[in-house]
Amino acid sequence: MSDADIYLDYAATSPVDPAVTAAMLECLQHEFGNPSSQHAAGRRARRLVEAARAAVAARVGAKPERLLFTSGATEANNLALQGVLRRRRKAPAHLVTSRIEHKSVLDTARALAAEGVEVTYVDADADGSVDPRRVAAAIRTDTALVSIMHVNNETGVIQDVNTIGALCRERGVPFHVDAAQSVGKLELELESAPIDLCSLTAHKICGPKGVGALYVAPHTALAAQLHGGEQERGLRAGTLATHQIVGMGRAYELADPEAEAPRLGLLRDRLWQELQAIPGVRQNGAPARRAAHVLNVTFPGIEGESLRFALRGVAASAGSACASDSPEASHVLTGMGLSDTLASSSLRFSVGRFTTEAEVVRAAATVAEAVHRLRSIAKSAPAWCSGSGF
Amino acid sequence: MEYGSVTARYFEALTRAGELPNGLPGLVSGEAEDRTLHVWVRFQLQLQSGIVRLARFQAFGCPHAVAAASKVAEWLEGRSEGDARSLDARAVCAELEVPVEKVGKLLRIEDAVAACWRHPATGNDKGR
Repeated sequence: MSDADIYLDYAATSPVDPAVTAAMLECLQHEFGNPSSQHAAGRRARRLVEAARAAVAARVGAKPERLLFTSGATEANNLALQGVLRRRRKAPAHLVTSRIEHKSVLDTARALAAEGVEVTYVDADADGSVDPRRVAAAIRTDTALVSIMHVNNETGVIQDVNTIGALCRERGVPFHVDAAQSVGKLELELESAPIDLCSLTAHKICGPKGVGALYVAPHTALAAQLHGGEQERGLRAGTLATHQIVGMGRAYELADPEAEAPRLGLLRDRLWQELQAIPGVRQNGAPARRAAHVLNVTFPGIEGESLRFALRGVAASAGSACASDSPEASHVLTGMGLSDTLASSSLRFSVGRFTTEAEVVRAAATVAEAVHRLRSIAKSAPAWCSGSGF
Repeated sequence: MEYGSVTARYFEALTRAGELPNGLPGLVSGEAEDRTLHVWVRFQLQLQSGIVRLARFQAFGCPHAVAAASKVAEWLEGRSEGDARSLDARAVCAELEVPVEKVGKLLRIEDAVAACWRHPATGNDKGR
């Protein structure tokens, strides 16, 4: 990607904020101590880790001692699901999740299923929302965990995690939320929310890759998935990556949804306003229930891979970056009822801290030109190429 | 997905994309598709005295499929019908550095060209 490119893939990852880089560099250059060491260098590193933990906790409305640092949201999701389910290895266990979760939840659920865990996948509605009543209906007496994401990474649709969590509490079932896309866009108050486990990451909000956290509410029992040390209350062994954690802490200080989300929403809406000039376009996901940074658009009659290739100078994605090597259509969009063809004809645009209005206008023009060009070479194509005729 | 420079060049140029005018003497056409692979290709050829004088294509598919259709249209022009019938899509795939998992998709291009000879007036091979 060159400096002239327009980056509209913040939901995949984001550029590191210079203030974050500065904090990390300071740490790398001067604070190399192991935070678990008892000497002065170690104690200084420990203070940095705990300051970062406090910053992350403050942003998500949690007590610092409830957060465990991990290598990212994927590890946090693995720890949440495997940590709860494997703790009940000898008892029958059941997991409830939805069909539109991130791969780090779905693949973990699949791995657990191979170990004998029963998994119920709740369908999403056509607007991308997961109906809390469907989740409640899926809960059984042996359900050990419910896992539903907060903001969908492909559509930006906000799930009603407070209602789902309350229903889980009524049934005494722990509730896990993947909040990788929420921080900085929505206010989180984990301590007062009916949420028992919550996965967080840094790199979606202009922090570094390779660091995340898992919020663990009191009395939530987890089995460690990494062994080899007593770090993070014995639940996540391994030397703490001080500089990464410092970067995450700084990123969370900066990620104020009150300050950022309104501007991101305006940029997203401007982009959609411009894209609507393209005949036949439609957006995916309930517009009234979306986080500010994501816009998912279907361009009927366009093969998605060709559209992405034709978009020289605009970085957007087919959906989850974690599934972008797969030739299969987005499981989120097909889970919302789109055909494989329409799902493959869709792009996710996501804006962020450094996106400008001029960029979204220019990107929309580039997209319109590419769509026109690709449609012009398939004028006689059969109806299925436009998503109908199946 | 990475694309080779040849693929990028043909995808960008699309020199022979489009349609030939209805009623053009010697016009034949053929198409093929595979819905499961999200590919559809159509060729129109003008044959005169056993030679492909003009070739045009339309395509819905991935960049490799579009570039390959473009490359094949270029290759067809000026060839004798006999040569054109010997089109080897695998050779085109090799030139475009098409990943092995996509070769099946590009074989539909070979099918579309073959369909031009099968039903000269309204050549059509819907594939599967």
